Amino acid sequence: MFDKILIANRGEIALRILRAAKELGIQTVAVHSTADADAMHVRLADESVCIGPPAARDSYLNIPSIIAACEITGADAVHPGYGFLSENARFAEVLAHHEIGFIGPKAEHIRIMGDKIEAKRTAKRLGIPCVPGSEGGVEDPVEAKRIAAEIGYPVLVKAASGGGGRGMKVARSEADLEQALGLARTEAKAAFGDDAVYLEKYLEKPRHIEVQVLGDGRGNAVHLAERDCSLQRRHQKVWEEGGSPVISEAVRAEIGGICAAAMRELKYLGAGTVEFLYEDGRFYFIEMNTRIQVEHPVTEMITGIDLVNEQIRVAAGQGLSVSQSDIRVSGHAIECRINAEHPATFRPSPGLITYFHPPGGLGVRVDSAVFQGYRIPPHYDSLIGKLIVHGRTRDECLARLRRALDEFVVDGVDTTLPLFRTLVRNSGVMAGDYDIHWLEQFLENGGVAEVEGR
Amino acid sequence: MPKSDPFDPELVRELAKMIAETGLSEIEVEKGDLRIRVARTLEPVAMQVAAPAPLAAAPPPAAVSAPGPVPAAKAGAGHAGAVPSPMVGTAYRRPSPDAKAFVDVGSRVEVGDKLLLVEAMKTFNEIAAPRAGTVTAIFFEDGQPVEYGEALLVIE
Repeated sequence: MFDKILIANRGEIALRILRAAKELGIQTVAVHSTADADAMHVRLADESVCIGPPAARDSYLNIPSIIAACEITGADAVHPGYGFLSENARFAEVLAHHEIGFIGPKAEHIRIMGDKIEAKRTAKRLGIPCVPGSEGGVEDPVEAKRIAAEIGYPVLVKAASGGGGRGMKVARSEADLEQALGLARTEAKAAFGDDAVYLEKYLEKPRHIEVQVLGDGRGNAVHLAERDCSLQRRHQKVWEEGGSPVISEAVRAEIGGICAAAMRELKYLGAGTVEFLYEDGRFYFIEMNTRIQVEHPVTEMITGIDLVNEQIRVAAGQGLSVSQSDIRVSGHAIECRINAEHPATFRPSPGLITYFHPPGGLGVRVDSAVFQGYRIPPHYDSLIGKLIVHGRTRDECLARLRRALDEFVVDGVDTTLPLFRTLVRNSGVMAGDYDIHWLEQFLENGGVAEVEGR
Repeated sequence: MPKSDPFDPELVRELAKMIAETGLSEIEVEKGDLRIRVARTLEPVAMQVAAPAPLAAAPPPAAVSAPGPVPAAKAGAGHAGAVPSPMVGTAYRRPSPDAKAFVDVGSRVEVGDKLLLVEAMKTFNEIAAPRAGTVTAIFFEDGQPVEYGEALLVIE
């Protein structure tokens, strides 16, 4: 087992990693920018090293600085958290070269899943259902029409170098296709410097459902059920649930089983999430995230398994602490990502938190690095914290969430708490009846006014 | 005619002693047509220490006094002539174990003169003087780990 873990991240996930390390009796090193010298996890860590000025590029993304911090503290492993260097295959390789452990997947898997076309090819090979589409890039309109006819309209023309929802054009019929193709290529060239595009079936009202997996790197892997992350704004997840309101135990076992088998085949190491679009009872692979995710607590609450603890164990060469038959979903959990933003305009609101009172009680968890008197720096994301609530049923969970949201006080900055207080009372959300467009449509059609009035 | 000297150092000293003994911040006295006010600024209470206490049970206050550097309290931080470290690594006073130190307290330096080495990943980086002056303080020992922004020495 590792003696000392260096936490190469900040904010709530840095605190999360610190907690897991402490529970394992492992020493902790917090690296931080000058802007984060006062952070909670820096105060709680056994050692801290300032690695640069506020800009992420010069601090949290500064590989030499982080390696140097490992050297002077004698850290024997690094946990990269999420974002920053967590899916940087080169960073994993540099650490390996310095004989420092990387608490994450093998570099080759980070690399495969980082390339969208390669990821899809690999998923297909492993038997994971994918969105029907062209095999590779498409240039010729005649070829495009042939493929589109096979897939079935509507189709999406996607930039191979795009991502995060950018560089996509819908063609609803053959008449639209040629123009969509031309436009997409022109825009892709301008935005990404690469006009390569491919075709995929366009799903009108899908849900975003993802499966959590864990692997020990030696061919053993398990799934820990799914999360439904359909409530998004500009491709950012806002509210996540586990299990999905529309997935039965049988379907869970089936898709989970497919993902776990794929991870066994890959000999995947560590935590990962296989992301799907789900429509009309069918799953379509979109990508795999080879890291711990923001919404991992949802899975922890319904399975009782500490995912960061598992990450550390398997990275240190130990096996998983559970087998598939040990994993049971119990009850329901919902997570709300609370940001320092105006609840309706989403304008960022960094500043001093003058009053902070998080909710408590049975089944209420707050993962936050913020405290009263803390000044949210403007240089990073605006996440104040995550409120995760668990109940024996989805209805109990919703009632508890409503109560917890009402109890939560954050003064001094704008927060998205009013948005969640509105959502938890909305009939569509309460029925679990939503898709990936729901939240934006809700906000556009009077939702903003409703949130502002709360 | 000799002017009576208005300044009474004994009185000032006594007032200062009274302030220290009583914990007052200010005393003003009138003696004849002489008025003296002696004041001092009390140390501000460290607000950050109080903040986490309401939230967590025990750990935060203990953590503040725990071993390991608390970033704000570094020696020399904030000194106008301090030369901060531009990188993380191990700092060396001399170019090699047997050689003389680059500079000592009292050394005069010009812009660009070598002050120390910081080593990281087997690469030695020379840190040069950003201004001319005299080295009045050195805050590190040979082979000591340093972090970004840490005050290494003072050039005045």
